[in-house]
Amino acid sequence: MGTAANPSLPLGNGMASHRRRLGARGILELVGIYAALFLVLLETIYPLLWVLFGSLKTKQEMLSNIWGPPSSLVFQNYVDAWRIAGMGSRIVSSVFVTGSALIILVVVATPCAYALARLRFPGRGLVLAVAVAAMLVPPQVMAIPLFMVARDLGLINNRLGIAFVYAATSLPLSVFILRSFFVTLPADLEDAARVDGASRLAILIHIMLPLIRPGVALILIFGFIEIWNDFFLAFLLLRDPSVQTIPLGLVSFFQQYDSLWTLYFAALTITTLPVIVVFVAMQRQFIAGLTAGAVKG
Amino acid sequence: MSTRPQEAAPSTSRFGRFASGDGAVAFVMILPAAILFCLFYLWPFVNGFWLSLHNWDGFSDPTWAGLSNYQRLAHDRIFLGALRNNLIFVVAVVVLKNVLGLGLALLLDRALVGRTFFRAAAFIPVTMSFVAVGLLWSWIYNPVFGLLNGALDLFGLSGLKQSWLGDANIALYSIIVVDVWKWLGFHAVIYLAGLQTIPSELYESAKMDGAGPIQRFWHVTLPMMMPIVFINTILGLSGAFVRNFDIVYVLTKGGPNHATEVVLTYMMSKAFQDGAMSYAAAIGYVLFLIVGLASVALLALMRRQRLDV
Repeated sequence: MGTAANPSLPLGNGMASHRRRLGARGILELVGIYAALFLVLLETIYPLLWVLFGSLKTKQEMLSNIWGPPSSLVFQNYVDAWRIAGMGSRIVSSVFVTGSALIILVVVATPCAYALARLRFPGRGLVLAVAVAAMLVPPQVMAIPLFMVARDLGLINNRLGIAFVYAATSLPLSVFILRSFFVTLPADLEDAARVDGASRLAILIHIMLPLIRPGVALILIFGFIEIWNDFFLAFLLLRDPSVQTIPLGLVSFFQQYDSLWTLYFAALTITTLPVIVVFVAMQRQFIAGLTAGAVKG
Repeated sequence: MSTRPQEAAPSTSRFGRFASGDGAVAFVMILPAAILFCLFYLWPFVNGFWLSLHNWDGFSDPTWAGLSNYQRLAHDRIFLGALRNNLIFVVAVVVLKNVLGLGLALLLDRALVGRTFFRAAAFIPVTMSFVAVGLLWSWIYNPVFGLLNGALDLFGLSGLKQSWLGDANIALYSIIVVDVWKWLGFHAVIYLAGLQTIPSELYESAKMDGAGPIQRFWHVTLPMMMPIVFINTILGLSGAFVRNFDIVYVLTKGGPNHATEVVLTYMMSKAFQDGAMSYAAAIGYVLFLIVGLASVALLALMRRQRLDV
């Protein structure tokens, strides 16, 4: 604990001293650094551009012009990919599953985290210990019994059912993160409201929740990436094509048809681009939340 | 860590105290989480162990099998191969993500202009699904129009062209590259945040003592970064054991001839192709034991090094 990121201070000093002494050697060093960074940029971004280019080529051009941008834009690829891969219903499934899971997660994890942080009751230590221990048990290792439980409860091919499973698998970490946010809030706030006769639930909803919004945002961001992108649990529990999410739909599209390359590229662009755009738009908050969580521990 | 003052008038009985204090409220607040957790976490966890001690195809009556599933596993060559592949995968990706992640973070830390831009670009693959990343790389590795063989042609290195996913000797390493590609930005961002907490006075005084850049790295940067190295190792370790199903399934399905089989792909094929549910459950339990032991060992090591993170 304790070494919270304080990016402005040491960084500012380092930069200033660096700039003062920028001789010929310094410039050479800087050129090297930027050359290396552009290489990294190339290996991350070019493959994605390549997919975007490919999605707009004809199949012949795909093979004759591997590297460059398309000579003319074939938007028909997108229309065909959308139709053949059944993207519409997959997107609906993904939105429904991810949305439901995140709502369940927040509704269930918040009061639990609050109770663990602020209430005194017998068994609190045990509940906390179970939450920590559960973080050491990745849900993937119990996929088979999880499948059995879901089958016995009639939750196979049930989108709301898998939303509950996703919420459960994200629960231990989320409770732990939210608890650490609740712990930092001052006690006076709550005591004043209690003197006024407010119930615990009213305090939680009206006073505490607005104050831990960054914590909720953090578990929503992590939960979204995890659930929206998940293949494994969806593969396990959603077997019927009519309820499958985007990652399952992509895989079955590729396995079903042989070498519709340009359509594959279009399908991948349709599913990947929106997430990248959202990330780029929100990247500051995103990375700030991530590093605060990890560096503080 | 209750910050609320003790309430007056304590009841005498245990239940009385429970009900009059926060016990009842806490119970109601924890109940939904407890139900969800018991149903989809604790119950499968316990049930999985029970299942692994039986023989069951999932439909007929289960019969008691004792530890025979585990004994069979110890002699299952495909399983042992998958375990070996899994360990190679874990060690390789954890080492590569740490070394390259720290390297990239050092570059980003030195970039005066455009740091945010390069950081965002490096992070983009993290936001993509394993399926999307896997499909993308299956085309990069494609022998007909793939970027990798194309690039080798371009630089006159056609002799190095390979069937990247088809050759049993290199397919596993091709998959490792994909996993490192996806996660590099994630680890670099965490390292970068760590680098920025190192006080610049330490570098200044090291410089005054005549330490060159390489010495400064070994004697200032690296020791100060050890807590972050542990965080990155823990994050990478648990992920590498259990988050390889998607990528392996999409790229090779464990082939050619089990050369890229990992524990989870083998578990799933045993369960859903062979119907050996209890055998697959035992595989899951063995994986759990390995992940658990590795995590506990790492945490113990961390505590011994007094790395309070």
